[in-house]
Amino acid sequence: MLRGGYPAELVIRHAHVLDPATGLDGILDVRLSSGRVAEIGEDLRGPRTLDADGLHLFPGFVDVHAHWRTPGREDEEDIESGSAAAAAGGFTCVVMMPNTDPIVDRPVVVSGLVRRVERESRVRARVAAALHVGLAGERLTEMRLLKQAGAFCVSDDGLGTASAGVLRNGMLYARSAGLPVILHCEDHTLATGVVHDGVAASLAGIPGSPASAEDAATATALILAAETGARVHITHVSTALSAALVGFFRDRAEITADTTPHHLTLTEDLVSTLDGLYRVNPPLRPEHDRAGLGPALRDRVLDFVATDHAPHAPEEKELPIEEAAPGFLGHETAFAALYTELVLGGALSLKRLVEAMGSGPGRWVGTGGTLAVGAPAELTLVDLAEEWTVGSATLVSRSSNSPYLGKTLKGRVVGTIVGGEPVHDRTGAKFGARA
Amino acid sequence: MLTLEGIGREDIREILDLARAFAEGRLRGALEGKTVCLAFFEASTRTAVSFELAARRSGAHVISLSEKGSAIAKGESLIDTVVTLDRLGADAIVLRHRAAGAAALAARHTSAPVINAGDGCGQHPTQALLDLYALGEALGGFDGLQDRRVAVVGDVLHSRVARSVIPGFLQAGMEVALVAPRTLLPPDEGVFDLPVLASVDEALEWGADVLYMLRLQRERMTGARIPSVAEYARFYGVSRRHLEGGALIMHPGPVNRGVEISGDVVLDASSLIPDQVAAGVCVRSAVLALSTGAVQSVAA
Repeated sequence: MLRGGYPAELVIRHAHVLDPATGLDGILDVRLSSGRVAEIGEDLRGPRTLDADGLHLFPGFVDVHAHWRTPGREDEEDIESGSAAAAAGGFTCVVMMPNTDPIVDRPVVVSGLVRRVERESRVRARVAAALHVGLAGERLTEMRLLKQAGAFCVSDDGLGTASAGVLRNGMLYARSAGLPVILHCEDHTLATGVVHDGVAASLAGIPGSPASAEDAATATALILAAETGARVHITHVSTALSAALVGFFRDRAEITADTTPHHLTLTEDLVSTLDGLYRVNPPLRPEHDRAGLGPALRDRVLDFVATDHAPHAPEEKELPIEEAAPGFLGHETAFAALYTELVLGGALSLKRLVEAMGSGPGRWVGTGGTLAVGAPAELTLVDLAEEWTVGSATLVSRSSNSPYLGKTLKGRVVGTIVGGEPVHDRTGAKFGARA
Repeated sequence: MLTLEGIGREDIREILDLARAFAEGRLRGALEGKTVCLAFFEASTRTAVSFELAARRSGAHVISLSEKGSAIAKGESLIDTVVTLDRLGADAIVLRHRAAGAAALAARHTSAPVINAGDGCGQHPTQALLDLYALGEALGGFDGLQDRRVAVVGDVLHSRVARSVIPGFLQAGMEVALVAPRTLLPPDEGVFDLPVLASVDEALEWGADVLYMLRLQRERMTGARIPSVAEYARFYGVSRRHLEGGALIMHPGPVNRGVEISGDVVLDASSLIPDQVAAGVCVRSAVLALSTGAVQSVAA
């Protein structure tokens, strides 16, 4: 019912407001005005109101790791469909990874993407540029010119950086350029397989990559972060040891780290299906790793969650697992999967989950993540009671490679607001059409 | 004369005063009867030529030795070579070598004084002295350098000039800042402990009176430490627009035109680069005279 409108003012009434950044936790009314949170209190009135009885209102979620496949693979996702999927998952800000075709390693590619985001994206989107030219791990990119063109950070996501020497210089140069670095930690001399090198892979006869491929590269990245003073974010931590390493370096380097919904909720057991759908990088790990990530997230050893939203066309996933492309959709199922498995499972509080999806990554990107008065009106309305079954028809993304296909999850995003404007709205379906 | 690290303000002033005396022709023939051996085991244009002129114009005999024409090419060690020169009667050995510490090593094995004419990424003390001389000429003498601001721009990490000129500027009472990407800087703490600025523009905002540009070596231009010459020139190069506020430009040479200095700036009026080269002769005469004991002090 809000779609199409661009209300100068909107009062959301009777929502359960939960905002870890300000400590708000209770049934309250929120007035949005001119794209900002104008007032929070009781019995607020206005020309336009939304009755949110029974819904939770959170700060907008932020996803620092997404592949919108633009430019190059718009058949899998583009800025419009990727941002629609993000909005459907409650995300109000996303960081786009640079491993596209062409790779985002030149200022002209960055400025082009920034302009397209302004026109085509429903949510805020930041551009991550490549850490090295062609993501080939040899020559550094022109990070200062990339920053001037609008790059928000640099990253080696997709492959990682083979040479520790290049990585060290990249961190030093990124520090001079004033850009944070998002690192994909994977040692390719160890990561020679396609799934985790564990029981399931051995039984199925599928070549495995050991956990050490991630752990050794994570240790290297953390040591170099401490030495160079660069601002480093380790993305998609998937093992208990890598999480512990992050914890060791917490006060020794300017680091942050995320883990993904799928590594928090799924295990290598899915490899036994031999279904290409379940190939992802880093691979799904054994239960002891999965079980270790929840407490690491709870205890803030890991700062927040990022989805690594990675759309793939059916012809890249409907293949033997060895031949399938790695990657899962992430935006639309992130909250529900984590709420169902971790919050309802007793491993994580709802407040910490909202922090891990909203205020935590919001602080990292420097925008959103709070419902403080005066903050940008970026928020997410969620019905914690709604059960829904993940199916390709319910997904907004142009692709449908979700590892939760067929699963019934609890908790669903019913509205997402960016800059005071609704960018995803199921409130009509929820309550029936209203004037 | 091995390093400028640890050389005091008054020692520098004395050398510069003596250099002026040489420049004014008051000490002609000061090195008569002395033998100066120029041992340049690495390529050099201005340092080699100005040392040779400095020695000859003051009356010294000069023997020049390069790696190619000497027994070093046959595998003779650095120590054996300088001991030979020493025993043959050199009164001073001027040494240029590719490795840091080479001059200090040579000095431990000779009775003749060794003058470091550049050792790897180590030191280049006479360069720093001639820079202070040339800058002093432009700013009203050595005391005119007091409280002036100088930004040292570029590859500090691999520069022997930086390792000499930075302590020199500090002894002269100047404020020093570094301008370079972190890939071309030593670690933050414990080395220079100087402010680090992000660009030549920022250096001018900081109030730099002097932009001291360092040479970017070709092998550093390939992407390992800087992404591209274009980006380097954009942030760490001097172009004409930087001259508007009256800042002076210095460079130890040889210049990469279009990299650290745009071509139309090298010989601009605000460029001290030709003055630096010119100062080389009198400053090196002074260093040779003091090292060999030919002149005890300016008063002599």
